Amino acid sequence: MNAAGELKIVFTGPMGAGKTTAITAISDTPPVSTEVANNDQQAFAKASTTVALDFGQLALSDGTVVRLYGTPGQERFAFMWEILGRGAMGVILLIDANSPNALNDLEHYTRTFRGISPGQPFVVGIGRLHDAADDALAPFRERLATHGIVVPIFSVDVRKHEDTQLLIATVMAILEARMPEPEHGHA
Amino acid sequence: MATPSPFKPAAVEAAQRHLEAFALGNSDVALTVLTSGDGFEIAAYPAKGPVTARVAAMSSSMQALAQALTREAGLGRNRSLIVETDTGSAIVLDLDDTLPRTSLAVIASNRELLGKLIWASRNLCKQLEKTLGQ
Repeated sequence: MNAAGELKIVFTGPMGAGKTTAITAISDTPPVSTEVANNDQQAFAKASTTVALDFGQLALSDGTVVRLYGTPGQERFAFMWEILGRGAMGVILLIDANSPNALNDLEHYTRTFRGISPGQPFVVGIGRLHDAADDALAPFRERLATHGIVVPIFSVDVRKHEDTQLLIATVMAILEARMPEPEHGHA
Repeated sequence: MATPSPFKPAAVEAAQRHLEAFALGNSDVALTVLTSGDGFEIAAYPAKGPVTARVAAMSSSMQALAQALTREAGLGRNRSLIVETDTGSAIVLDLDDTLPRTSLAVIASNRELLGKLIWASRNLCKQLEKTLGQ
């Protein structure tokens, strides 16, 4: 967090994972969007796609302002990942459980963004997970565990304010846990 | 990156010829790329493979950011974006009335006068709009 009480959190993940939706759901102000018509319907049947960034802001009760950045999902915009990931205090990865590449996406984006924002809190939200069983998240945890990566993973519906808030709150909790205890003055 | 081009092959070929003629007539132009709004290369001269694909993606991102900025500032639709460096310039121009939306990226050395480059690039855009609109 900088001196002005602001911090930067980046939402990332493949195209259609819900990054723009999440930022729209949680932002206090109308988000800045760079969505354009998606011409590659074969790759992903979606009307629009983000080509630069999404940006929103969220004011917390303690006065902290969280700046929310969403990355483009498509690989050809990976140069934006580096730009947006720089200085991030936390990364939230969104994955579409319905995608046939969900596990590969999880691994790819986790590796990439833990490289871009090393050591920063990293939280995963799995969307469209229709299986409500407790172990539905197990394949995702196991995939990362095989690479020695243990991070919080939640089943989320990012259209819901409270689900996106949960992801942000988890990043904040990790950051707070890392803060040094305040020093007490000597009487 | 190869694009599922939204334009007819004949129109793309004609656009390619316009880019080539433009580059040959403006010797300090290093690269021209016609790009879809979502960052796919439609035509380019000279074709440089990965470099062209990256310029296509980057110019569409920059154009979208410029559009977001002008919208935020209440300035209306963005027409062009100019980046000047010590050694040259990059111009990204929005084409009018193409569906889907397209833009043209022109990269030139600074031996080319910027004003002349913008004027020539806008003329090229008019040719491309006519070609792609057919």
